[in-house]
Amino acid sequence: MESYSYVNIFETKGLEYLLLICFLVLFVVLVRYLSAPKAPANKPKT
Amino acid sequence: MSKQKTLSSEVRAFLKFLWSEMKPRGKALTPFNVISVPIMIAGLVILVIRFTKGLGAVTNLSQDFPWGFWIGFDVVTGVAFAGGAYLITFVVYVMRVEKYHSIARVTVLNGLLAYIFYAGALVLDLGRPWNIINPIIGNSFGYNSVLFLVSWHFLLYMITEFIEFSPAVAEWLGWPKVRKFLHSLTLAAVIFGITLSTLHQSGLGALFLLAKSKIHPLWYTEFIPILFFVSSIFAGLSMVIFEGTISHRVFKDRLEPGAHESFNKIIFGLAKGAAISMFVYYFFKALIFIHEGHWSMIRDAWGLWYLLEVVGLVLVPCFMFAYGVRHRSLGIIRTASVLTMLGIILNRLNISVIAFNWNAAVHYYPSWMEIVVTLMVISAEIWVFRWVVTRMPVFGPSREFAFTS
Repeated sequence: MESYSYVNIFETKGLEYLLLICFLVLFVVLVRYLSAPKAPANKPKT
Repeated sequence: MSKQKTLSSEVRAFLKFLWSEMKPRGKALTPFNVISVPIMIAGLVILVIRFTKGLGAVTNLSQDFPWGFWIGFDVVTGVAFAGGAYLITFVVYVMRVEKYHSIARVTVLNGLLAYIFYAGALVLDLGRPWNIINPIIGNSFGYNSVLFLVSWHFLLYMITEFIEFSPAVAEWLGWPKVRKFLHSLTLAAVIFGITLSTLHQSGLGALFLLAKSKIHPLWYTEFIPILFFVSSIFAGLSMVIFEGTISHRVFKDRLEPGAHESFNKIIFGLAKGAAISMFVYYFFKALIFIHEGHWSMIRDAWGLWYLLEVVGLVLVPCFMFAYGVRHRSLGIIRTASVLTMLGIILNRLNISVIAFNWNAAVHYYPSWMEIVVTLMVISAEIWVFRWVVTRMPVFGPSREFAFTS
């Protein structure tokens, strides 16, 4: 009979849940980063 | 009698106008012309050989590799780059974001030409090209076939995009009543076009679901259709940034005053969309990678190749887009768009050509003639694009009518 350890994140899909949580947090961070107040109205750098 | 005379003089004036529009404009000896004309002549010669002596005479295709560079690059990659059309029309005509209205026509024109030339290139790759009509006329309909869906969608989407672009043609021809009618069809055409696009962008990916045993495990997943759809979003946005940047330099005399500055502002909005969609795409790729347990596969050359695509040409340009938006740097955004396009080309070629039959003893590589024909298709598309742009009101809606009898 196969068995697995509850602390092994590779076997319990724990890593996938961790990735999902990281994604959700980072997604909010990214959107906030992109929506931050614009830099002073200088001419865009080319 | 006088009515007949008036009609015949109208027709004569119209034909004269059309004839005058066919004549080339501008300088003949431009760098693009000097490069593209020999390519197109060579490509046409190769096509004559292809249609008289068969695929084997000009391609390296075989029974093990029936799909090569023409499918992988022209069709699968070209259609992804055409994704900008359904995105921009959705934003402009459905979401009513007027900021992007000035690029709607040129984006639709790009999408239309991409479908005509790149999806049209499918004819070159069919062993019996005359059978391309079968899915349309009902000769053995394959309702369960993904190709059936893709072929119908390509046809319908080309018609839809032509309807979306047709007001510009009516303006050019000086037909205000026809323009009014065609313009009234735009919203319905846009909604129909978005539905078609979302389905066939993913449908192109679904074509590869049958090849589970042939595609390298790092690239094969049952989520290929979703990945193809999501990646078409940032592929289209990057193409709009890239194409718009070049068009605004080449056709600057066709632009309305202030159009250049407003396009620079539009680029930031497009880059924001690209950064968010790339981040979502990268998450999907990471989740699939972890779920499938591919850790042991990234240690060899295939793994490094995979990391180059996913990290080097997805994650890095994603951060570059975000950085460029935040720091108002057009240079970084333009560089990111080029990297993103390279990433899309690599991804589509990996799935359809490079990592396809990856463990075969003899692998396929395109012949020089396949590459020349692909360059011919791209050159021909640019020629037609240039012809349309220099004659029709493409850069922003125009109230002036080019043809007046």
